[in-house]
Amino acid sequence: MPYDDFRGFLQALRQEGQLLHITDEVMPEPDIAAAANAAPRLGDHAPALYFDNVKGFTDARIALNVHGSWANHALALGLPKETGTKEQVEEFIRRWDTFPVAPEWRENPLWAENTLEGEDADIFRVLPLIRLNDGDGGFYLDKAAVVSKDPADPGNSGKQNVGIYRIEVKGRRTLAIQPVPMHDIAQHLHTAEERGEDLPVAITLGNEPVISIVASTPMEYEQNEYELAGALRGAPAPLARAPLTGLPVPWGSEVVIEGVIEGRKREIEGPFGEFTGHYSGGRNMPVIRVDRISYRTDPVFEHLYLGMPWTEVDYLIAANTCVPLYKQLRRDFPEVQAVNAMYTHGLVVIVSTKKRYGGFAKAVGMRVLTTPHGLGYAATVIVVDEDVDPFNLPQVMWALSTKMNPAGDLVQIPNLPVLELAPQAVTPGITDKLIIDATTPVAPDSRGNYGTQVRDLPEAGEWLARLRKLAGTR
Amino acid sequence: MSDTNALCPRCAHEAIEHIFDSPVPGVWEVLQCGRCLYMWRTSEPARRTRRDAYPAEFMVTPEDIGTAPEVPAVPPLRTSAA
Repeated sequence: MPYDDFRGFLQALRQEGQLLHITDEVMPEPDIAAAANAAPRLGDHAPALYFDNVKGFTDARIALNVHGSWANHALALGLPKETGTKEQVEEFIRRWDTFPVAPEWRENPLWAENTLEGEDADIFRVLPLIRLNDGDGGFYLDKAAVVSKDPADPGNSGKQNVGIYRIEVKGRRTLAIQPVPMHDIAQHLHTAEERGEDLPVAITLGNEPVISIVASTPMEYEQNEYELAGALRGAPAPLARAPLTGLPVPWGSEVVIEGVIEGRKREIEGPFGEFTGHYSGGRNMPVIRVDRISYRTDPVFEHLYLGMPWTEVDYLIAANTCVPLYKQLRRDFPEVQAVNAMYTHGLVVIVSTKKRYGGFAKAVGMRVLTTPHGLGYAATVIVVDEDVDPFNLPQVMWALSTKMNPAGDLVQIPNLPVLELAPQAVTPGITDKLIIDATTPVAPDSRGNYGTQVRDLPEAGEWLARLRKLAGTR
Repeated sequence: MSDTNALCPRCAHEAIEHIFDSPVPGVWEVLQCGRCLYMWRTSEPARRTRRDAYPAEFMVTPEDIGTAPEVPAVPPLRTSAA
């Protein structure tokens, strides 16, 4: 059953034993970020964390690591918490097949209970802000779904965007945002700035968990995130109009911040410990003026720690990076079996495929580079045979160990685009990319001495089930 | 308990703005540097709040601020004839 608000999901996590309520008094820094840093180290069933006794605050409620394990990711999708990683990706693919599912407009949004406007729209009065990593330039909002419209086509709901971007708190009513040029909001801002206009935005915090998943899914420009949320939920996403901007926002958000990205303005921002596991340097970035804040009474502040992988962000952008790449590759190449783009938002992509003829695997690898997401990511693509599971890294390493000959299987393409945060680029934003063909050559490619591969015995599958049963009944 | 006379831990600037007080009076303040815009809470560890304990790799100079790249670049204004 889908969740219509953040608190409904927190309750479900609590019932499943996946929410740890820390009742001891903690310091806002470094305790909360350090706990969220540590939580994913508890493994695939790590819990979300909930703090409500924070020194100096009178009524802080802060939730972190909400998506920070495969168990919590499964629960977010309404699956049993034991569901395996590959099975979650496969279910995500099946549900995407029902895309688009139109949203549902609902009256009386939960965030309409309280309002601060104009000079009173002070973010510190609403959110118990905390700092994350030592080198961060300030307080960040890094799990907010930001809504904007294409200024050249504002009536087109396909071109509207819901995305998670890093947002720095620069003052009581001032924020900074990072619109990576490969992401949709950067196109909206580009159009607004060419026209000399501001770009209205609604920043929504504390959303039901599927909204966070779709807002961090690399969808195509004209695909609507709320319509994907409907497909993943199995029910329309409930929406309401934000009062100042009229932008469509989740009905159940804890907090909705409205304002504008001020056109043609840049100001020093950062650094910030990023999803790459490295700090970005200080850069001049766009500035948001906050004009209105709407919020539920006693709002819960949802935050996300990110650092040395894996942390919550890696779970949040794992399955939802694999699936659009899989869908896009399958359009042209139905031979593609599976895509694992779980590592650093797909800076490495592993694809398993059947081969039509010699050289085919390299062509699949090149197609990865030209997908919309691959343009900014996919620094390394590993292509493996159809019987290698890209989610099984020991199998992938076996393929690299035995199927790859550097003499003919490494394709290095110079000077392709990559997001500026990718630390390996010599010039930020431009890098060589690598395709590693770790498939068995097929005719007319006759390289190697492969003979015949050893296959699982036909009876092994039956024995696996039998052994599991026996082991389970010990 | 105001630390507004302190140096910015990050860039050593002397103009520090007071942004917010703890809801429980007197526990901490949020401060911001007027030059590099670093923002911190006075109750954070010394490595984040004191110039003499601030890690060298995170320090910022006026030159760093002046040469910081623009992301994304501001596009040219589109003329009405275009």
